[in-house]
Amino acid sequence: MNLLTRFSWLRRWETLLFVILCVVIVINTQLSEHFFNVDNISNIFRLSIEKAMVVLLMTFVIINGEIDLSIASVMGLAASVLAFTYEAGWSLPVGFVVAMAVGALCGVINGFFITYLNMPSIVVTLAGLIAYRGVARILLEDRSVGGYPEWFTGLAQNGMIGSFPFTVILFAVMFVACFIILGRTAFGRYVYVIGNNRAGAEYAGINVRRIKMTIFVATGLMAAFAGLWYAARLGNIRANAAEGFELDIITMVLLGGVSIFGGKGTMLGVGLSLLVVLNMRNGMSLANVSGNVQTSIVGALLILSVLIPNWAQSLQNTKWWRSFVERDKPSLTKGETAKGEAG
Amino acid sequence: MKNLRIAFLMMIVLLVTVQPAFMQDVIVATPGQEVNMLLLPKALGNAVFDQAHEGAQEAHAELENPGELIFNAPTEASAPGQIEIIEAAITQGVDGIMISANDYEQLLPSTQRALEAGSTVVTWDSPVDPSGEQVFIAQVDFSETGTVMADMALRILGEDGGQFAILSATPDASNQNAWIAAMQEVLESDPQYANLELVAIVYGNDDPDDSYNEALGLIDSYPDLGLIMAPTTVGIAAAAKAMQDEGLCGTVAVSGLGLPLEMQEFVENGCAQEFALWSFKDLGYLTYYVTYLLETGAMEAEAGVTFEAGRMGTYTIEEDPTREGALRVLMGPFSVYNADNFEEWAVDLEATPEAGS
Repeated sequence: MNLLTRFSWLRRWETLLFVILCVVIVINTQLSEHFFNVDNISNIFRLSIEKAMVVLLMTFVIINGEIDLSIASVMGLAASVLAFTYEAGWSLPVGFVVAMAVGALCGVINGFFITYLNMPSIVVTLAGLIAYRGVARILLEDRSVGGYPEWFTGLAQNGMIGSFPFTVILFAVMFVACFIILGRTAFGRYVYVIGNNRAGAEYAGINVRRIKMTIFVATGLMAAFAGLWYAARLGNIRANAAEGFELDIITMVLLGGVSIFGGKGTMLGVGLSLLVVLNMRNGMSLANVSGNVQTSIVGALLILSVLIPNWAQSLQNTKWWRSFVERDKPSLTKGETAKGEAG
Repeated sequence: MKNLRIAFLMMIVLLVTVQPAFMQDVIVATPGQEVNMLLLPKALGNAVFDQAHEGAQEAHAELENPGELIFNAPTEASAPGQIEIIEAAITQGVDGIMISANDYEQLLPSTQRALEAGSTVVTWDSPVDPSGEQVFIAQVDFSETGTVMADMALRILGEDGGQFAILSATPDASNQNAWIAAMQEVLESDPQYANLELVAIVYGNDDPDDSYNEALGLIDSYPDLGLIMAPTTVGIAAAAKAMQDEGLCGTVAVSGLGLPLEMQEFVENGCAQEFALWSFKDLGYLTYYVTYLLETGAMEAEAGVTFEAGRMGTYTIEEDPTREGALRVLMGPFSVYNADNFEEWAVDLEATPEAGS
């Protein structure tokens, strides 16, 4: 019974997001005749793809009951490492590998302190947010490093596979991979179990440390990759690249119905939340809504995303709702309900 | 002496801008043509950009443009935020895009796309690389900014000189960086500034809190500091406020580029001595005229073209001496504000709450 209610709640949250998405798209088409323009659709993804990539991995982190505030700094650091090595005359692919390794190293550092020294992830990654950005600033100081080869910048700026933008294809592949790993594999199941009840997971013989470590390293790698992509898209790099992205990223994950306390949420919900936020921002830009208003609306949506499930919960606990449900399902007797709740 | 110098500078500016007008036809705008315009400053919520908007609105009304004038910017000064707005403008088919750029290079792919799509791209206040713009409307000559700042520092610190620090905007702001470089060059090349010692350059990101804290950091790190020079309106006001709160007015002077409206109280109570600025309203007005003329096809973006910009008179497009291959329209000149001419500009403020004009 408990399980059933939880799943029906999830289903309803995603349905709600889907409805919001439809409403947003309808409003957008009304606001601007350019919305369904192919260029615009590809813009929706192209201009926020770096955040979207990291959102996928952040979903794992939060469902697992942790948080990673250092991602945006890892993005900036990876980009800065690439710039630094490129400036020093290394070839771009070598710099790419070094930057990815640095991203993985950041993940290892985060993961080590959190899983082996049992420090709270919010503290460890807050330190990471400051420290990794600091290293980036040491590397590049106030310089801007550009002049990368055409193939590198072109790929992110306007690369195409057939008639589809490369960016969209890449993101679709990443999304499907994350969807399968989280929803259809034993690893994904462990992520939920640990997020729900860490002690229980340990007693059940799940290697909690290894799973947490894997998630943090994967997040570091993905953040580094997103940082390099960001560098390619902008064409030049400064140490402040991607500053402040962590909050946008966490917002999109939470809006997707992922519980900040861990254990709840689906990749589908996060995917829908991404589409809602990106389409909404694009529509507001096309309607020339100022940035201040855009930020407030996304904030209001986030508050609603926390409030609505709570309201739904308290509604379910009211007498009126219970009698309503029981009238609907006459086969369910009081005794059975009590037994179900106890079990 | 100072008045003489200003008069001399104004003479030069007049000569430069007026002289070619005798030799060439002056292009005049035809009002009433429909051109959709986007004014894109560095960020929202900065008084000077609102003034530029006022100026653009004035020109928009004057030219009876039935199209739209959109005013939009990122909430925080960032290049990616500006990219989103430019891309949306391309999708909408906006005809004239007027940008004060947060980065010299990062906007290039987008502004180039806008140019390819047939839009007019004009930068003002802060330019991009010439490959992504048609004309830059320069508020003042960038090297002149260096001289003006060096002169103010010399007047405040005196012949014997002393230590001073620069409190700038973001580390990647192309205008501030150019001005600081120009000032450093002036300091090194002219022996009269030999005793002025630049000890630090810090960045307050054009954020009042950050700038305030950076100013406090400066007085802690450099006990002998005599002057904070802030080439940004946000920075200078924050630094003056910090000195006021710390009771250091008169000990550590504050100068730079400031808005008269925001600086009035600090000049009155002696926390800021002297500052300079141009009119952002005029800058918005002039930028609008240039963009309108280019987009309606009345004028080509070529060196030597002379045009009339409404109430501001005639200007000429010229090669930008500070950036190779770039074209600019030089607005100029600087106005210097201090306690000596306080009555003039403070009275002006009550009549028209705008800077510099």
